[in-house]
Amino acid sequence: MRGQVAATRRRTAIRGGLLLALAVVLGGCMLPPEPATTQADATYGLYIFVFALAVLVFVGVEGFILYSVIRYRRRDDRLPDQLHGNNTVEIIWTAIPTVIVFVIFFFSIGTLGVVEARSDDPAVVVEVDGFQWQWTFRYTDDDSDPNNDYTVTGSAAQPPVMVLPVGEPVVVRLRSADVIHSFFVPNFLIKRDLIPLPEGQQLNELEFTIDRVGIYAGQCAEFCGNQHAAMTFTIDAREPADYATWIEAARSGAPPPPPSAAPGGTVIELTADQLAFDTDQIEVPAGEPFVIRLVNNDTVPHDVGIYAGADELFNGEDIPAGGSIDYQVSALEAGEYDFLCTIHPNMNGTLVAQ
Amino acid sequence: MATTTLTPQAESYRRSWVLDWLTTVDHKKIGILYIVNSFLFFFAAGILALVIRTELMVPGLQFLDEPTYNQAFTMHGTIMIFLFVVPILSGFANYIVPLMLGAPDMAFPRINALSFWMLPLGGGLIFSGYLFGGAAAEGWTGYAPLTSDAERFSASVGTDLWILGLVFVGTSSILGSVNFITTIFKMRAPGMTLFRMPIFVWTVLVTAVLILLATPVLTAGLIALFIDRNYGGSFFDPAAGGNPILWQHIFWFFGHPEVYIVILPAMGVVSEILPVFSRKPLFGYRAFVYATVGIGLLSFSVWAHHMFTTGKVFLPFFAFMTTLIGIPTGVKMFNWMATMWRGSISFTTPMLFAIGFITMFLIGGISGVMLASPAIDFHMQDTYFVVAHLHYVFFGGSVFGIFAASYFWFPKMFGRRLNERLGKIHFWIHFIGFNLAFFPMHSLGILGMPRRVADYSPDAGWTIYNLVSTVGAFMIAVSIIPFLINVVATLINGERVGDDPWEANTLEWATTSPPPPYNFDTLPPIRSERPVFDLRHKHDAEHLAADASIVEAPGSHA
Repeated sequence: MRGQVAATRRRTAIRGGLLLALAVVLGGCMLPPEPATTQADATYGLYIFVFALAVLVFVGVEGFILYSVIRYRRRDDRLPDQLHGNNTVEIIWTAIPTVIVFVIFFFSIGTLGVVEARSDDPAVVVEVDGFQWQWTFRYTDDDSDPNNDYTVTGSAAQPPVMVLPVGEPVVVRLRSADVIHSFFVPNFLIKRDLIPLPEGQQLNELEFTIDRVGIYAGQCAEFCGNQHAAMTFTIDAREPADYATWIEAARSGAPPPPPSAAPGGTVIELTADQLAFDTDQIEVPAGEPFVIRLVNNDTVPHDVGIYAGADELFNGEDIPAGGSIDYQVSALEAGEYDFLCTIHPNMNGTLVAQ
Repeated sequence: MATTTLTPQAESYRRSWVLDWLTTVDHKKIGILYIVNSFLFFFAAGILALVIRTELMVPGLQFLDEPTYNQAFTMHGTIMIFLFVVPILSGFANYIVPLMLGAPDMAFPRINALSFWMLPLGGGLIFSGYLFGGAAAEGWTGYAPLTSDAERFSASVGTDLWILGLVFVGTSSILGSVNFITTIFKMRAPGMTLFRMPIFVWTVLVTAVLILLATPVLTAGLIALFIDRNYGGSFFDPAAGGNPILWQHIFWFFGHPEVYIVILPAMGVVSEILPVFSRKPLFGYRAFVYATVGIGLLSFSVWAHHMFTTGKVFLPFFAFMTTLIGIPTGVKMFNWMATMWRGSISFTTPMLFAIGFITMFLIGGISGVMLASPAIDFHMQDTYFVVAHLHYVFFGGSVFGIFAASYFWFPKMFGRRLNERLGKIHFWIHFIGFNLAFFPMHSLGILGMPRRVADYSPDAGWTIYNLVSTVGAFMIAVSIIPFLINVVATLINGERVGDDPWEANTLEWATTSPPPPYNFDTLPPIRSERPVFDLRHKHDAEHLAADASIVEAPGSHA
């Protein structure tokens, strides 16, 4: 008898464990991408809270239904009690969803305040023009001369990259001259529509402060015609100093080709100064393309090459003093490689793909 | 059975059965026409769904180009909503509501026939775009200026045909709803007070009111759109001072009540089936009625939650009103749960689909509350999360309700019961396939995959979810095979089961199966919302007393 009870308990425990494991796996599939702005952090927090409530309600209700259909399955022809209702429990269960939705509403409005907050003096303002089927990004500045505004327009073959600083408030102004588009960056957990509006109406704006260096994929989210799926772009978030270097070069009329890295890919930062790299050890994921971002703070040109023994796997272009570049490196098999400046082979180190 | 069958024989006057069906004004035959017509459109739009899922199975454009893909999802959405879910529920209502009320027919039988025949006409117009250079391809929501500026963005005549077809379909619903409202208010049998009407009739009534208030708005908007496209109007043209956002307001002022038009009758179906197979009355009948009316009222104050990311609506108001809908919906959920509690539950196919409804609709309801929060919606809007949500409501909700209704009322319509074994096979493949197809879409949306894209990057990490979803879609398609075999085999050689095979509650089971053209020879006394139950248990004093109490004291439940 006792053995039977124990066996039942074990079965219950195993079943419970399996259910829990399933819940964890499913829950893991229900998490947003890692947030990359302070605003997204707030939304992420709200999402986790609401999702936890959702799981609670789901498990409670489905558990109750499952229990009922098993426990009260028809066993004989006896008619069960004909219960038509009960005012007390009905009032209670009207109150339960009321409380839940009011709590959700309360926290939602709080988060909305954070997400929609506007600073007086954003560090960077980018005018975003959506059109069928690409984007134009225009970096405005304080003066009214449009000639020194930096503008980049994407093409289907090369979607545009928006380089932005981390840690500073950024405003994008959203405009469309044809149909409705939507500016969507999943890692920022936000989107906003670009609407062709009659004259005099306020353009949509979006403000965010990026808190992590990285490459983030973006895409049009509002169906806008045939090539809707091709309307992608990339956000390249850099340290403020790197951003300053980049925007200065971009504005001076001879902009460096806008770097384009695979979204979500690995970016290795490498700084050259006084005839040395800042590290002699680089780790990259094996089997995936990655980006080496070389910042040349030296007074002479540098570059980066990658070698397996004597075989040259990669040799990037030379970067003048004060410049920077994103090298696109194709996937490497797992293993150890050498990297070095081909101009100054003494500047070298080990690159580990794993 | 208290009724005797007395079938007056027609004279030797004979017509071909084709002519008979084409010219019928009998609500039962029209109901069957509605249902058959809707299933045909369901299969067509289902094939389009398979086309979409096949294209999305893996990254890259495999066998469709973008225009074909865009036409496929536009037609899929339009047909499924306007020509399958709404009309098939009207079809069941057409057949069942007069029977439930003890009425001989609908109030306006000829208008009833007219509203039906507009459907194949409208649907045919919408589909005929494929014959004239391509169907509409702007999504079932048809956002301006993509739709409104034909010259620049949508030259295909398919979009014009789509507008015209929808005007017919809308007019059909409007006429139908006038007919239902009149029937329900004027054609009830003696004793059938409003609060003794079956819940299904209540949901049809509220739905008809919603249709009457919402659909004309869409029809007007569609006509404005047609003028913009063809006669130089500028309702939605920003260059001429019009506003494309106006279209979204018009569309969703119709579109959100439309969601409840689609789900309320399915809730009604489930609220009829759960009590029958739990052998208990619906728990909290009045609360359920009030919740239904409440959802109907609220549905007109939430439309702009589809427009949070336009930046042009007052977020707190629409967020608040939207979350409020969670309350009556929650009440209904509890009512269904309590109906099964301490019941005596048998797992017939209609019951399985009804339980499937409440378990799946719950997920759609929960994701709906999540989307009501503006900050979360900023991330989820226009992604696959919304696609998952709407399929858990429309498919997990309405379509499960539709199949529950099909299995439940088939013996009423044809006197034969669908095979239970095939029915259960259908249910389980359907249920598993449904979850495989649509649950992964939540993940896709959360990760940021926008809806309505023909292609996606292999680097985005979306491939596995899309693959699973496609497998699920094909499982759903497979599950339809046993259903079709079942229908055909049962019609030819099914088990004859008598007039009331489920031991049901409501008046439609008090007549023969199938009912005679005039519906009832005699009516049983109507003393509660379960006249047939009362008849069956009339010698059971205890239960009669329990039932009588709600008759004598309508304000209380006890």
